[in-house]
Amino acid sequence: MGLETDNDLIDQQGPGFIITSVDKLVNWARTGSMWPVTFGLACCAIEMMHAGAARYDTDRFGVFFRPSPRQSDVMIVAGTLVNKMAPALRKVYDQMAEPKWVISMGSCANGGGYYHHSYSVVRGCDQIIPVDIYVPGCPPTSEALINGIIELQEKIKNEESIANG
Amino acid sequence: MDSEEYSKSLEEKFHQYKIGVSINRSNPEIEVNHEHLIELAKKLKKDESYEILMDVIAVDFLTYGDVDWKTNDATNTGYSRAVKPTIIPEIDETFVERFAVFYQLLSVSNNRRLTLKVFASESNPPSVPSLVDIWSSADWFEREAFDLMGIHFDGHPDLRRILTDYGFIGHPFRKDFPTNGNLEVVYDEEKEEVVYQPVSISTRPTVPRVIRDRND
Repeated sequence: MGLETDNDLIDQQGPGFIITSVDKLVNWARTGSMWPVTFGLACCAIEMMHAGAARYDTDRFGVFFRPSPRQSDVMIVAGTLVNKMAPALRKVYDQMAEPKWVISMGSCANGGGYYHHSYSVVRGCDQIIPVDIYVPGCPPTSEALINGIIELQEKIKNEESIANG
Repeated sequence: MDSEEYSKSLEEKFHQYKIGVSINRSNPEIEVNHEHLIELAKKLKKDESYEILMDVIAVDFLTYGDVDWKTNDATNTGYSRAVKPTIIPEIDETFVERFAVFYQLLSVSNNRRLTLKVFASESNPPSVPSLVDIWSSADWFEREAFDLMGIHFDGHPDLRRILTDYGFIGHPFRKDFPTNGNLEVVYDEEKEEVVYQPVSISTRPTVPRVIRDRND
């Protein structure tokens, strides 16, 4: 968790407090409640649903799918992003409150994938929004998505949240 | 009545529309001129009780009969097939026997299926009379055929694009449409909006290769 207990202090004054840096505390809070906006676009969304359902249960990580971008911290772009959808994706991303992160899930969201040479598909959702984690696969398994979520937690833990505002 | 007898009876019944009847997978297929389409469709619905229009299919015959994958020579670097630069043909504005529309009809009461085949007019844009007034299911099917193939359906109440992007130019299922398209979208940091720009990749025909050792 990044929290450290000082055994000497506990010995002197009894249990009841811990000391840590504000950065670590804030990042711990952020990694513990990453609420993703559900942006399911194609078959990857099925795997995303599996990750959220009983067997894989992302609730364990504090990952609750939200229907509103206003309440979300993470956007999971799950599926093929087409030209017609791109302005809507950007709008939803802009509506999310800072700080916000993006997980690109699957080949299509990563770089167009199977439809790279198509007339109607965006060649990677990073053409439209900045991406933090790319999860490969077609579609990635639920385990792979959860691994991506854990990788994002590791990334957030190393951020200097106070210095960056 | 088997399908051959039925086809013959159709041919006799509708001979005034100059139809050609053939049998396609034990179902009759009627080819008719687009001028006679409406009358024939009305008759088929009323007299032959084809109550349902299952699907409308548009076909582009531009490269019909060209065999991309035929090959006569194979070297140790690969085959010659499917690497012709003519994979995307030149834009062709002559529409002689180019676009055809197929209507798949179903008669529930007679348990029969029938295909109607119509070549679009040779005008630009190619056109076919709309069948929305006869089968209302034709509405979105015809919009789709218009969107992807550029066939105009005369008399359609609301002939808009149905699938492609807002403001899309061209008809992507035509054989002379480049697979990569003409435009792509990116986010413009300065304008703070998603903008269109000319497509940044080029058509790349896949070159099939045979990998062999040097000594064979």
